[in-house]
Amino acid sequence: MKKFLTVLLASFMLLTACSNNTNTANEGGGNTAAPEAGKKQEITVWAWDKVFNIGAMERAKTVYAEKNADLTVNLVENAQADIIQKLNAGLNSGTTKSLPNIVLIEDYRAQSFLQAYPDAFFALDEYINASDFADYKVGPTSYDGKQYGVPFDSGVAGLYVRTDYLQEAGYSVDDLQDITWDQYIEIAKAIKEKTGKDMLTQDPNDLGLIRMMIQSAGSWYLKEDGTTPNLADNAALADALETYKRLMDAGVVKVVSDWSQFVGAFNSGEVASVPTGNWITASIKAEAEQSGKWAIVPFPTLPNTPSSVHASNLGGSSWYVLNVDGKEAAGEFLKETFGSNADFYQTLVTDIGAIGTLKAAASGEAYSAADEFFGGQKTISDFAAWTEQIPNVNYGMHTYAIEDILVVEVQNYMNGTDLQTVLSNAQTQAETQIR
Amino acid sequence: MSTAKKGMSIERKSNLTGWLFVSLAVIMIFVFYFYPMFQALLLSFKSGTGMNLQFTGIDNYKRLFSDITFITALKNTFIYLIIQVPIMIILALFISVLLNNSQLKLKGFFRTAIFLPAVTSLVAYSVIFKYLFATDGLVNKLLMNIHLIQTPIAWITDPFWAKVTIIIAITWRWTGYNMIFYLSSLQNIDNSIYEAARIDGASATRQFFGITIPLLKPIILFTSITSTIGTLQLFDEVVNITKGGPGNSTLSISQYIYNLSFKYSSDFGYAATVSYSIVVIIIILAFLQFKLAGDDK
Repeated sequence: MKKFLTVLLASFMLLTACSNNTNTANEGGGNTAAPEAGKKQEITVWAWDKVFNIGAMERAKTVYAEKNADLTVNLVENAQADIIQKLNAGLNSGTTKSLPNIVLIEDYRAQSFLQAYPDAFFALDEYINASDFADYKVGPTSYDGKQYGVPFDSGVAGLYVRTDYLQEAGYSVDDLQDITWDQYIEIAKAIKEKTGKDMLTQDPNDLGLIRMMIQSAGSWYLKEDGTTPNLADNAALADALETYKRLMDAGVVKVVSDWSQFVGAFNSGEVASVPTGNWITASIKAEAEQSGKWAIVPFPTLPNTPSSVHASNLGGSSWYVLNVDGKEAAGEFLKETFGSNADFYQTLVTDIGAIGTLKAAASGEAYSAADEFFGGQKTISDFAAWTEQIPNVNYGMHTYAIEDILVVEVQNYMNGTDLQTVLSNAQTQAETQIR
Repeated sequence: MSTAKKGMSIERKSNLTGWLFVSLAVIMIFVFYFYPMFQALLLSFKSGTGMNLQFTGIDNYKRLFSDITFITALKNTFIYLIIQVPIMIILALFISVLLNNSQLKLKGFFRTAIFLPAVTSLVAYSVIFKYLFATDGLVNKLLMNIHLIQTPIAWITDPFWAKVTIIIAITWRWTGYNMIFYLSSLQNIDNSIYEAARIDGASATRQFFGITIPLLKPIILFTSITSTIGTLQLFDEVVNITKGGPGNSTLSISQYIYNLSFKYSSDFGYAATVSYSIVVIIIILAFLQFKLAGDDK
């Protein structure tokens, strides 16, 4: 009962807040002058992941301190879910007091914030040049012709493979370069037969694999307008789901139910490959004993979709400046660090393995370093090259809403329902859900 | 005459003092409880993402009936309700009667042990259950070692077993809590009633059904209503153990409200509509329980 009261009170407080739509976010909008030198200023940054995102910000802070010592940057670490909640609550309440100056938002969600809270974010066109960044990052971070986000990490996907298992099954890394998913399944079967190991893990509740597959073909759950569900007549999605079913039916998949089981499976050597975003590198390398046994090959393509390329993306996020006091200082700060500083990106790669999306950074020294863990492969420069090929799609506002619908329907499909029925059911539900 | 007048004024005075004392609480309840409730009701007639809320009349309520996810969440919640609440109530009743036995040794220890789950954090215990019931978790290992099962049960990834896991978890967490209510009211039952029954030759079972149950009826009603409400608001366990999966098969209504507000592009209007549907369901269920228990007084 007490829990009930707390939840009720909390949610109603929040709900009441929504009805008072006085938007104070615009206050101080007239002040666009650049920060004066010698004036002490303070900005706050919210991000998740202490090592990766916060770590990157800390280095940005150090770099910027040399240029402008008058700016104090406070870093606050919050879980991603908490940031989303606080942002939603804060922006709805109309009071921006509790909100930070800079916030990290996942690319899949960015549009839902930019569109749901117009005027809450500060356009950065004066500070950064969108064309300096990987093309696919620009779609999610801009809205209505304005650039709102400073693109940060690349979610460029690769296929991490165990070379020793491949060898045991009679394959070499070269056999896995530029393959299709059908070839992948054949190799998976061979590996399973020879070594008894599964090829990959899959969490039935997480369709990241499907997302990567369709983005490689330049398609998404939504049409290009970012609001119309694109499920029933989406050829790439149909191809991806058929491939997914073949993969699941081949008996080469270890089913997991959460992140720690996912990481545990490849750390303990239970699976022969991991198709995912490059940010997994740190977790793969966490098992030092497996050094030299891994390689990264380009992401496989969809077998029946000619537009599918050997590059895709999973996750990734960008920095946004809120339209509150201190926005100019925050913009200036991002401009000098994540916005243009190629040297800074070298530090990020060397120190925390974060691959940015600033095109100029790719020619830097750190990007061409060889990684002994991956048998001397120049992994960063490979990833950077693939980043440039990732098809640009509009993630729109409803990625997660649609994925929740799709998860259920995909399960029906796995249990034998006809694909077209499944997709049109999903389409109908998505149309009801999204308004 | 004058004394009578004075008396009235004293009465009025003390009334005023009384009202002053409660006024603070009343104002607080109005400001922080009823006013937000009313605002939420207004909100439930609006729809749109984030700040772009628009008045849409009863569209949201119509949408409820065609919303497959909502219907799934409703079904799941009712499955929890119909299976879990009776199991828990009966179990709690059973344990409290055992613990009330005057010949039982180490009563305090057992009582504490059974009540202890109720003081653990919801998130903490959920996380532990998730690991216990993982496919390669302790529960499966145990069951396989004693040869009850041949292959591991997919406690979390199978739609049926995931529901079972959630039911086991909430039963573990809340049985002790309900037991305490029974225990305290059992101690209020005069021992002489049992004595008289024993002298008349009533068996233990007869005593249980003839004395204990009727005398505990108000408490049973109370616990079943609070448990019903609790189940309808189930959130922490589902989010932490199964995340509503596999494929919405354990999704609860509260989690759906959360998803609508925070996981998807936030639509607080529709989320408020779903919240109000819970209010309506709770009112109906509480009413039914009162009727069934025959407590019309």
